[in-house]
Amino acid sequence: MSVPDYMQCAEDHQTVLVVVQPFGIVPEDHFFKIYKRIASVSQVSIRDSQRILYIRYRHHYLPENNEWGDFQTHRKVVGLIAITTCTSAKDWPQTAERFHGQKEVYSSTLYDSRCLVFGLQGEIAEQQRTDMAFYPSFDECSDVERRVEDFVESIFIVLESKRLDRATDKSGDKTPLLCVPFEKKDFVGLDTDSRHYKKRCQGRMRKHVGDLCLQAGMLQDALVHYHMAVELLRGVNDHLWLGAALEGLCSASVISHYPGGTGGKLLGRKPSISQTTDAGKRHRPGAQEVLIDPGALTTNGISADTSTEIGRAKNCLSPEDIIEKYKEAISYYGKYKNAGVIELEACVKAVRVLAIQKRAREASEFLQNAVYINLGQLSEEEKIQRYSILSELYELIGFHRKSAFFKRVAAMQCVAPTIPEPGWRACYKLLLETLPGYSLSLDPKDFNKGTHRGWAAVQMRLLHELVYASRRMGNPGLSVRHLSFLLQTMLDFLSDQEKKEVTQSLENYSSKCPGGMEVITLSAELKLPPVPFTKLPIVRSVKLLNLPVSLRPHKVKGLLGQNVSTASPFIYSPIIMHSRGEERCKKIDFQWVQGDVCEVQLMVYNPMPYELRVENMGLLTSGVQFESLPAALSLPAESGLYPVTLVGVPRTAGNITVNGYHTSVFGVTSDCLLEDLPAVKTSGCLVEVIPSLPRLQLATSLPRSAHTPQPMSKEELSSSVSVQLFNGETQQLTITLENIGCEDIETLEVTSKVVNTKEKVFSNFLSWKLEEALSHLPLKPGLTVTLTVSIQVKLDFSGQENLLQDLNDDGISVTGLPICSPLRQVLKPRPETKPISNDSGKLEYSHIKVRCAALSSSNQHTEQHRHRNEERKDMKTYSMRIYLEWIRRA
Amino acid sequence: MAVCIAVIAKENYPLFIRSVPTQNELKFHYTVHTSLDVVEEKISAVGKSLGDQRELYLGLLYPTEDYKVYGYVTNSKVKFVIVVDSSNTSLRDNEIRSMFRKLHNSFTDVMCNPFYNPGDPIQSKAFNGIVSGMMVQTG
Repeated sequence: MSVPDYMQCAEDHQTVLVVVQPFGIVPEDHFFKIYKRIASVSQVSIRDSQRILYIRYRHHYLPENNEWGDFQTHRKVVGLIAITTCTSAKDWPQTAERFHGQKEVYSSTLYDSRCLVFGLQGEIAEQQRTDMAFYPSFDECSDVERRVEDFVESIFIVLESKRLDRATDKSGDKTPLLCVPFEKKDFVGLDTDSRHYKKRCQGRMRKHVGDLCLQAGMLQDALVHYHMAVELLRGVNDHLWLGAALEGLCSASVISHYPGGTGGKLLGRKPSISQTTDAGKRHRPGAQEVLIDPGALTTNGISADTSTEIGRAKNCLSPEDIIEKYKEAISYYGKYKNAGVIELEACVKAVRVLAIQKRAREASEFLQNAVYINLGQLSEEEKIQRYSILSELYELIGFHRKSAFFKRVAAMQCVAPTIPEPGWRACYKLLLETLPGYSLSLDPKDFNKGTHRGWAAVQMRLLHELVYASRRMGNPGLSVRHLSFLLQTMLDFLSDQEKKEVTQSLENYSSKCPGGMEVITLSAELKLPPVPFTKLPIVRSVKLLNLPVSLRPHKVKGLLGQNVSTASPFIYSPIIMHSRGEERCKKIDFQWVQGDVCEVQLMVYNPMPYELRVENMGLLTSGVQFESLPAALSLPAESGLYPVTLVGVPRTAGNITVNGYHTSVFGVTSDCLLEDLPAVKTSGCLVEVIPSLPRLQLATSLPRSAHTPQPMSKEELSSSVSVQLFNGETQQLTITLENIGCEDIETLEVTSKVVNTKEKVFSNFLSWKLEEALSHLPLKPGLTVTLTVSIQVKLDFSGQENLLQDLNDDGISVTGLPICSPLRQVLKPRPETKPISNDSGKLEYSHIKVRCAALSSSNQHTEQHRHRNEERKDMKTYSMRIYLEWIRRA
Repeated sequence: MAVCIAVIAKENYPLFIRSVPTQNELKFHYTVHTSLDVVEEKISAVGKSLGDQRELYLGLLYPTEDYKVYGYVTNSKVKFVIVVDSSNTSLRDNEIRSMFRKLHNSFTDVMCNPFYNPGDPIQSKAFNGIVSGMMVQTG
């Protein structure tokens, strides 16, 4: 016997084995449909007695294993159900012949057999035969279950007769020696008359009867027989059979202690009739009492005879004893090299019992022993099976890590180099099952919480194996996902060399199958969530930037004055309006303008030991339509913080929220959401986008001044041009206004303001004619209008002593007059001013600064630009003020 | 002498693991990882029966072909695991105990360090020194 049945459990000792086999042409799906229906008859209560016969069905059974049937009768094939098709009467003799051939295989042990013939009609089908059942087709066979029950009952009759036959055969002299296949040659030439030999024969027979009793549903008798067998066999040191007797004893005790079964739900039993009337879990009134003494059974089904109760308590092993006896039995089996399978199966059975008793540590000892049982040369498939079952058993006793370990070994066995066709798919599937044991979740979200906590080395190995298996499976998409996961979650544990290797293979795979953000569904319960690369590069802060000063929107004060536009009419409210959650996304106090390029600055760094190329980096936003303009960047190895500006254009107005950014690294695109990145500093990511505003570009005919004046206020911007004029001189200044936006400019206002406080110096300094310019309004996008401003300088020197002094203070130089030293000081060439003409005959000059400030503020879309409930309708204005300013030259 | 020494946090992730450099490090990771099953089982069994007074030393967790794995659990459920070579028969139970005690003392010192954040991997030089000492010389 070489193939262990790892699914065995103690209850199997009380079952009879029936093999269901197809022959001829039987489609597999039909066969298994019928097989399922047959297998549903797993227990049959026998008429006229309260006993129950349990049946175990197999569709494959090695005849070799059948030879061990004398050793443990549940290994013996006692029934055969053959399933075949036969379409015409002329094929019938041949079919019948083959059925007999099938029976031959198990002929030595078979009690009875049946043949289910499908498809045959006519006179042959009408004949009544007990061993044949005819059905017109696979769909019309309603009484299969009934036929099987009949069949089981006939098996029972044979079993019962055998039992009685053996049990009463107490002559002793003629007791044959039962033996297992490998023993046969050992007994050649043994003295058959010795007492020792006789005792051995008796002991073995006793054990055999115990088996039969157990199968026939006579638990107490079985226990008695086993006890006697143990005594007899112990006396003659027949270790193998002693082990079997002990195991039988254990099985019978387990059946009586744990009526629910130890094999898990696969072998779960329906509560039998006798159990339903029984209150105590441990007291299952054995049906044998009925057989022995029908009077002992009272009407409520509980035995009134206390003597049987006492006997039961004595014969049945206690839960602790069961384990002791299992240990003993296994140690006896261990003495025989050829009984490896028996030993292994006994270990498995004991583990199942211990699992129910919740004695995990002892169970693990049994399993540890099972690992070392040598079954000789195992095929690869058997090895896989063995490791998987070890894993399952470890799982059963709650040793998840051990279970994962063996499952992984099984997975590796699937693709062992000796296998001609490696089962990468199976390997991958098994590897996935090990994930919980290594407390590894494939969801990167679970790793965002602080530092990594787990067995990094072991987990990394597993991930590498997953990657490799999925690649060999021919699913690069999975490889890319697993590699991304490895890189993202284990970055801190990878050495520089490993980082290089991982990224190289990632680039390699992603060239075949670019990684994305979709969820990969492997099965209903296992989905692979996307892995965004939040660490490649690492983003430290996200800051939304205001528009450049010249483009910032400016609100024109309403005609109704300043409306206080707060949400609450109260100045102070003790109720805090913002919850904590909103704090992160609180509104920023500047606005973006629809149609204008808006910027967000990220501080990033590259943790990799080589240059990192990030492609297609852009913003993820919600709220308004946003056209992101992606950037590509290349970060040097282990760079420090590196500012990156991501830009985009809002296309509609409203509130925009910057949710995160997207990148494409190593061919894997990822969407990184800020809410998943608690480490990222941000000063808020919600900003208002106001409807698009007109944009005006202003150019003058004068050269630009190199001197930038201080802005006068936040809302006013300036750019400077300079001109030098002599007193009395007039110069034309052409101001060209161009509409570079896409909105019409409807109004234009020009005012002048002299910055210098000494306005008495001037009179009517600037003059312009607005009418002509206004006639071009509204100014369509792309059009220009010119405005001519004439500058006339007239200084008034009349009678003020300190005028010159004042002028000097203000940096106005007046040459040609006897002026003292400050002039020279002033005249010193400075980088920002041209050297002044040396001609002292010239009267004077002044350095005039024309500041043109374009104050853009408009209510082009008044209704959209309303702030809160502020009801105001402004004139559509576009105002421009020109400031002239004396520049202080000192 | 010890071929692998590991400190495992209450939540069963490693705080410290070191093995003899000459051998396959991953193998010891597997050994220690699977030994946690037995440790957990032992703790839960003790917790039920005895209550507060329990032996910190768990004894032999399980023997493998080449190694013996010993366990020790502090009152705060931090686990120490020492793997020794099976061939080393001179090692007595008492010696293993004293090794664990030494390890425990050193671990306490690490925890006393105000700059050590409980739950972080142990990087203390002093602790490392003690471990190296146990991995090299006998006794």
